[in-house]
Amino acid sequence: MAVKDNILCSKSHEYIYQEGSNYFIGLTDYAIEQLGDIVFVELPEVGSSYTKGEIFGTIESVKAASEIYMPVGGTIVEINEQLIEKPELLNENEFDEMWLIKISSNTYEEDSADLLNYDTYKEEAE
Amino acid sequence: MAKTFLYNNHIKLGAKMVDFAGWEMPVQYTSIIEEHNNVRNNAGLFDVSHMGEIFVTGKESLTFLQILVPQDVEKLIDKKALYCQFTNEKGGIVDDLLIYKLKENNYLLIVNASRLEADYEWLIKNKSNYDVRIDNKSDIYSMVALQGPKASDILSEIGIKKENQPKTFHIDEYKLLNEDVFISRTGYTGEDGFEIIIKNEKVSELWELILEKGKPYGIMPIGLGARDTLRLEAAMSLYGNELNENTTPVEAGLTWTIDKDKKQNYIGKNIIQNQLQAGTDKRLIAFKMTDKAIARHEYPIYSDSKEIGYVTSGCIAPTIGQNIGLGYINNKNLKINDTIQIMIRNKLYNAQITDKNFIKKHNKGN
Repeated sequence: MAVKDNILCSKSHEYIYQEGSNYFIGLTDYAIEQLGDIVFVELPEVGSSYTKGEIFGTIESVKAASEIYMPVGGTIVEINEQLIEKPELLNENEFDEMWLIKISSNTYEEDSADLLNYDTYKEEAE
Repeated sequence: MAKTFLYNNHIKLGAKMVDFAGWEMPVQYTSIIEEHNNVRNNAGLFDVSHMGEIFVTGKESLTFLQILVPQDVEKLIDKKALYCQFTNEKGGIVDDLLIYKLKENNYLLIVNASRLEADYEWLIKNKSNYDVRIDNKSDIYSMVALQGPKASDILSEIGIKKENQPKTFHIDEYKLLNEDVFISRTGYTGEDGFEIIIKNEKVSELWELILEKGKPYGIMPIGLGARDTLRLEAAMSLYGNELNENTTPVEAGLTWTIDKDKKQNYIGKNIIQNQLQAGTDKRLIAFKMTDKAIARHEYPIYSDSKEIGYVTSGCIAPTIGQNIGLGYINNKNLKINDTIQIMIRNKLYNAQITDKNFIKKHNKGN
């Protein structure tokens, strides 16, 4: 998939890619597969700001709740509303549709320095 | 980590494996929700070989077992099962187990994997001068559970005709694959079903046979993930979550299993008898989330802005499409339909106390 070529991933399994002046953030396919059936997603309010590494949401599978961290700092521009009603859509794993949040970021350059490209991330994760 | 004799079967089926009580066990094969629903609608096959099989035999078997549990083992007739708890001096639960009376002076105890060692020590410690033999045969036997509305059809397909199958909460000896096996009509799902105890060497062949013959009935292998959601929907306790050495059967809502008029003494009897009469502050409740959130193990429970207890188990209940849970509260006044709150990630979410019938159970019978 084209998106995979352009994403950067964190060790805590979030991905980020740029589109126009904004950034889309989601969970990697590897993380989704490890979680299993996803039954609940909690996302932040539009307009709220977070620094890199801060918890911005929660994702729950049947077995457990996991926190989701900001791969870079920024302000929430949009959340993927359809996931609130239908969290199970995340299990379909399409990177470009199953993003969690869209952000604006002034610190992307410095914050993204330690993120990994998809292939390196995948190697380290497995 | 220990592996059951079905380890290779699980790997072949693409199971995701996890550590459970020191055993490498399948948590899911396809999806917990799919597996869960399949047990409710068709049938599922579980590897429960990690559980312990302890045989108690000898002249004083009955007298010995009577001192260990608040249930009246004397009332147990041949080939019948009794759900029991080993209780300690404080009335706390050492383990919960099934006692099967195979015949006079011959009992089979099925205990939790996580408690096998503690149970065996408990039995030896309390054996004193009783004329009994305690044989832990967990290393010899494997066990599979065949559960769901189609379980009886499938058991019939593999050679145990319906008229010969054990009745609910009974056990009998059969021949399967030219091997002596025990089959009981018991389980941990709230559905009709069987548990088959067979020698290790034959369990892989039995597993394959059941999956093969069960295919037309829609059978699926089921992992520990769905085992947990199925038992929670059936409001059955899990040792380590709802039950532990500091919790009595009365507090755990197991009063219905206790024989209040049991004459013989048993360990912890004074405390349990007192609690039966006076009631307890601490008690197990069931609840449904009314706010959109999932309660999890150890989340605090609140009422009127005060912390009154904690969640022992919580999950989504696939059968009813609601988030449910069990938990302990220290409060005598709250009753069914009252609202409580669960603290989830520093926010309070509403839940409603319910009875323990999340689903209609199909495992009750004679």
